[in-house]
Amino acid sequence: MDKDTIICRCEELSFEEIEEVICLGAESFDDIKRITRCGMGPCQAKICADLVSKMIHEQTGKIYEEIPMPRMRMPVSPISIETLSTNSQHFSTVKSVLDEVELEDGKVR
Amino acid sequence: MNTSYETIIIGGGVIGNSIAYHLSERYREGVLVIDKKYPLSGTSGSTQAWVWVHNKTPSSYAEFSMYSAELYPYLSRKIGDVEYKRTGGLSPFFNEKDRDKAKRLAESYREIGIKIKVLSREEVIEKEPSINPNVAGATFSKIDGNVNPFRLADMYMRAAKKNGIEYSYYNEVIDIQKKNDQFIVFSKNGEYTCKNVILAGGTWSRELGKMVGVHIPVNQVRGQILVTEPLKPFINYTISGMRQANNGEVLIGYSMEEAGFNRSTTLDVMQETANMAMYYIPDLGKAKVVRAFSGIRAVPEDGLPIIGKVPSVENLYVATMHSGITLSPLVGTLMTELLVDGDTSLSIAPYSIERFK
Repeated sequence: MDKDTIICRCEELSFEEIEEVICLGAESFDDIKRITRCGMGPCQAKICADLVSKMIHEQTGKIYEEIPMPRMRMPVSPISIETLSTNSQHFSTVKSVLDEVELEDGKVR
Repeated sequence: MNTSYETIIIGGGVIGNSIAYHLSERYREGVLVIDKKYPLSGTSGSTQAWVWVHNKTPSSYAEFSMYSAELYPYLSRKIGDVEYKRTGGLSPFFNEKDRDKAKRLAESYREIGIKIKVLSREEVIEKEPSINPNVAGATFSKIDGNVNPFRLADMYMRAAKKNGIEYSYYNEVIDIQKKNDQFIVFSKNGEYTCKNVILAGGTWSRELGKMVGVHIPVNQVRGQILVTEPLKPFINYTISGMRQANNGEVLIGYSMEEAGFNRSTTLDVMQETANMAMYYIPDLGKAKVVRAFSGIRAVPEDGLPIIGKVPSVENLYVATMHSGITLSPLVGTLMTELLVDGDTSLSIAPYSIERFK
């Protein structure tokens, strides 16, 4: 493949940019993702995942079938926040920062 | 293959890497960083990456955080652009009764010279026009901001490598033994000997400590975050709970769960996070969520960092904490001073592991 070939369309990453991170010791798609943002765009790695696995296989000699797949992230396909929301204003796990400030005898602890 | 080192750093997150980079400014050879996976696969790669000072208690800890935030612009000039932005930090509250608490927080900070303002409803809306108009007020500090955590770790690593620091990835440490004046570090890929060992394993610190018979009381707390599609820039500040990155994505989340090392995202917390997003900034309702991720935070038992020498084992050091992103420039600097000069320019005595005895 040409050095300028785009591997990740969403984040516009070229073959050369991915190749560099493999040279730095990355062994999985997720290693490369965190350094380059490859696969972090709207398509969530649907286009680039296999291309990157092939690159790892070709450059490191690792067995293709043993290269870990990218970790799939909910919601897999983008959905709006209001669709995800339940409209509740009761918060339990999600907190505000000020909730954590504790007072002791009227003073900040 | 070289197997003998002056110093081995276990953990290649922002803390381990910051120590490696800062050490490389003083001595260029004989340092190895070992990571069980590839850097950023743990806590440092799954965070909103606020550089956050205000709301931290006690105020002495806020002061410690402030010094670290102050180092960021300087760090960027040395290692390259880490997308550090000092946006100012906004902690909104929606209930008038929180104003008293906010005022007391500001008071306790005034004593040590950190200025935080308690804003009125109108002032918050003026600063952040898209916020829920029902907001009651907010605390605001100019020193807060955020950074790109991926770039931060990557730049530390590149600068350290350029200065001669060695790295070993996918190389889990299995055991550490002390023989005479030397440590033997047993790893998946072999044995190494060294004079100094620095434990910078974050969430795995308790397990690393056990290998050398040291109790490091660090627990795991899970946090889940939603990431939106890139949106036009419209969030001006780092809001406690969300921030907008350079590429327009908004990162939303402020959840805490005890889930051990389980890094799943769960629908209930994602829904609650979506509720929070719309409660804070109603316009976010129309934004699309591209993905959710979760990270495991390292949280020492009393919430404060554990930094410095481990007195019971000579030449053993520990650096593990919550807020590693905020504290990394300072911790790297101080740990280097401790190793090279034997003393630090800023006292780390309050953060000694001795306090847990």
